[in-house]
Amino acid sequence: MIFSTLEHILIHISFSVVSLGITIHLITLLVDEFVELYDSSEKGMITSFFCITGLLVTRWIYSGHLPLSNFYESLIFLSWILSIIHMVPYLKKQNYLSPITAPSTFFTQGFATSGLLTNMHQSGILVPALQSQWLMMHVSMMVLGYAALLCGSLLSVALIVITFRKVIRIIDNDKRANLNSFSIGGTPYITKKRNVLRNTSFSFLYSRNYYKVQLIQQLDHWGFRIIGIGFLFLTIGILSGAVWANEAWGSYWNWDPKETWAFITWTIFAIYFHIRVNKNGEGLNSAIIASIGFFLIWICYFGVNLLGIGLHSYGSFTLTSN
Amino acid sequence: MEAVMAPAGTVHRSPSRLQFLKPSPNFVNSTFKFKPQQLYTFRNRCRTPLLPSLTSINCKLKSSGEIKKQNASKKIELWNSAPPLSEEESNAGSGKKEPAKAGSGNSAVLRSVKKLSRKVLTLLSNLPLAIGEMFVIAALMAVGTVIDQGETPEYYFQMYPEDSPAFGFFTWRWVLALGFDHMFSSPVFLATLALLGASLMACTYTTQIPLVKVARRWKFLDSAEAVRKQDFSETLPRGSVQDLGVILMGSGYEVFLKGPCLYAFKGLVGRYTPIGVHLAMLLIMAGATLSATGSFRGSVTVPQGLNFVVGDVLGPSGFLSFPTEAFSTEVHVNKFSMDYYESGEVSQFHTDLSLLNLDGKEVMRKTISVNDPLRYGGFTIYQTDWSISALQVVKDGEGPFNLPMAPLKVNGDKKLYGTILPVGSIDAPNVKGISMLARDLQSIVLYDQEGKFVGVRRPNSKLPIEIDGMKIMIEDAIGSSGLELKTDPGVPVVYTGFGALMLTTCISILSHAQIWAFQDGTSLVIGGKSNRAKGEFEGQINRLLDQVPELVESSPSSSSVAMQSNNTMAAASFTDPGARPS
Repeated sequence: MIFSTLEHILIHISFSVVSLGITIHLITLLVDEFVELYDSSEKGMITSFFCITGLLVTRWIYSGHLPLSNFYESLIFLSWILSIIHMVPYLKKQNYLSPITAPSTFFTQGFATSGLLTNMHQSGILVPALQSQWLMMHVSMMVLGYAALLCGSLLSVALIVITFRKVIRIIDNDKRANLNSFSIGGTPYITKKRNVLRNTSFSFLYSRNYYKVQLIQQLDHWGFRIIGIGFLFLTIGILSGAVWANEAWGSYWNWDPKETWAFITWTIFAIYFHIRVNKNGEGLNSAIIASIGFFLIWICYFGVNLLGIGLHSYGSFTLTSN
Repeated sequence: MEAVMAPAGTVHRSPSRLQFLKPSPNFVNSTFKFKPQQLYTFRNRCRTPLLPSLTSINCKLKSSGEIKKQNASKKIELWNSAPPLSEEESNAGSGKKEPAKAGSGNSAVLRSVKKLSRKVLTLLSNLPLAIGEMFVIAALMAVGTVIDQGETPEYYFQMYPEDSPAFGFFTWRWVLALGFDHMFSSPVFLATLALLGASLMACTYTTQIPLVKVARRWKFLDSAEAVRKQDFSETLPRGSVQDLGVILMGSGYEVFLKGPCLYAFKGLVGRYTPIGVHLAMLLIMAGATLSATGSFRGSVTVPQGLNFVVGDVLGPSGFLSFPTEAFSTEVHVNKFSMDYYESGEVSQFHTDLSLLNLDGKEVMRKTISVNDPLRYGGFTIYQTDWSISALQVVKDGEGPFNLPMAPLKVNGDKKLYGTILPVGSIDAPNVKGISMLARDLQSIVLYDQEGKFVGVRRPNSKLPIEIDGMKIMIEDAIGSSGLELKTDPGVPVVYTGFGALMLTTCISILSHAQIWAFQDGTSLVIGGKSNRAKGEFEGQINRLLDQVPELVESSPSSSSVAMQSNNTMAAASFTDPGARPS
């Protein structure tokens, strides 16, 4: 009993803290920037990280197995990984990812704790097929892979938005005939700003906006790196799942819907890497592919569970409203 | 000695390949080409080096302490004249000329075959084609999950009727004609997979392997302009190329110095990994093909106490399936039992199996459970399912009667079995009897002849129950074990492919960095590029350049080297190649 109250407390603390952090980000975006508040939102993310860690440890101790056996638990794990990914660049003093990871953490937690999934909140028992050491490796690798790939594909979406905002702006500002160049003074810190969206409000008439080009390049580069890491984890996850399936069910690939969609996601990101081989594939083209990947990940992770069929039906659930 | 030559093996490739090679334009125009002897002998020994041998490349990740210790032992290799060109390339060149020299009709056919195969290779190793194939495979797989697989044709008549086709044209005719009802073994899908495999092989052969050769050649850039054209470049007004070489060596680069030119690289392994990944994929595909054509599988439900022969159960899957000696083994199910949680749900099921050979001797005995199969003689027995086969009851002291149980409702691990003990004559209409239901082997629920609930008994408790004047005692609930048997010759191949794929994907995160430098009078021009970590590369190089001592001519007698930090100079920006004022 004490464990479930502890879980309750922890999850609500972390949820509120993260939502406060998001609110601060939004205020910074829409209203004005308060530096003190910015620091506190970062600290809020750290607090939330510890809360989720506590939650996961509690569930682990209480149920005796790693807390990854159903969809709710894997969502909590996903938000935990996203908060780690949020914190790593912060500790290295490069804040490019925070506008993406912080809201993602918030939304995954929100969905997990929402009324749609309450019948899964209790820690349950493991069915016989899940009682294996492979559970830890396979599921955690897959969720790690999903988290990193989600970040990377959201970065690519951001890249597309920024690239196309310049087109929209040019159409808007075509009426103005004067070709004043923008003032650079006062904006050398633009690329260090952690708020990507705010930067686009400075978008200019020319396509040769140096800082914008640099921002796009950096987004592209960061997206590439993090998708690389995510691809690695996805590969390891899929392969360890195949080996586990061979141990448990006798064949390493059954064309189960979830397996197939994971493979489709893997293929799309492989296409992403191959498009980047040519220099002119970098930038927009690869970003489009990675954005498709975003939807595929959600279909793979969430959509297949809705169907509830196949060998992966442990993760399945029905959306009930309470 | 200079030799102006485009590297062999790339001369008559198609333009698309040259374009593919554009990212490193320097090597097409390179004027210097050197190979130290050790690299040459290494290349002769193995044709597809997946991981470079430790003798020639020692660019592993080292701690700084180790680097300082090794500094004394490593040397910068200085060359005063060009080493001889590799004989391999002259062989390749002459090999190509040989068919042209022979004039007989045979060699004309040979020549045309070679030309055709070369054309096919070029066609297959086209990168956009491979990307298109991957897209098609992804789309087919997605379709395969949307359309229900393996149903009867009537199901598809219903789901995709001709009078209201999906998307305006998609009817059951499409589904059955294209084989979408068994998508993952349909000709369309398998043909695309085979095409992708062929593309992989062609691409590895034509593109990746020459890239390896190129990557292992180190090429100097002989002019300051060429060095400045790199992705990242910087100029130090008073630096010496030897100092730079020492510093680069200190941070783990392999450095080659010739006169005023310097070339250094780090992380050569990062160039090899694409080959490794592609070869691992090919291995997996080969293993999967072997599995699909050469394996046996079958499943059987065996009540406790009975046995079966392995060969009776297994059925072949393809044309390469050959039965083995071990198929004549007899499997005896000694006991089937289940473990339960406190809440009553099933936690695990176990089957105690004995394997007997043709002489009846027990060769193996093992208790298997769900994640713990039995392996013997090339086949594997997995525990996949269970059911209840019979109830043993004693009625009024008579018996025991074996009542077979039938499944009433089966939903994964939640099952319901029932049986009936008839009372009175069986041939009369409206046979009445005592019904017994069981959800698992733990407890049996009994109902009387009217269907009213009477009680619950555990099989081994030996407690009788009174129903309608009869004394019923449940002796035992006999379960039966659902076993699945398989042999799969492709599994070792596939596992090797998996391991290789994991390893090479890990390694591909490492980046391969190259640095060129040229001593232009007293200033030092440095250029570099990295294939992965471009952002961090710049920072690393800046930190290294900070350590290059600035040569200050304080007095004519002694050229003192002032170890001044070049902070102000080396704060390079990403795209600013100009020299900075001191």
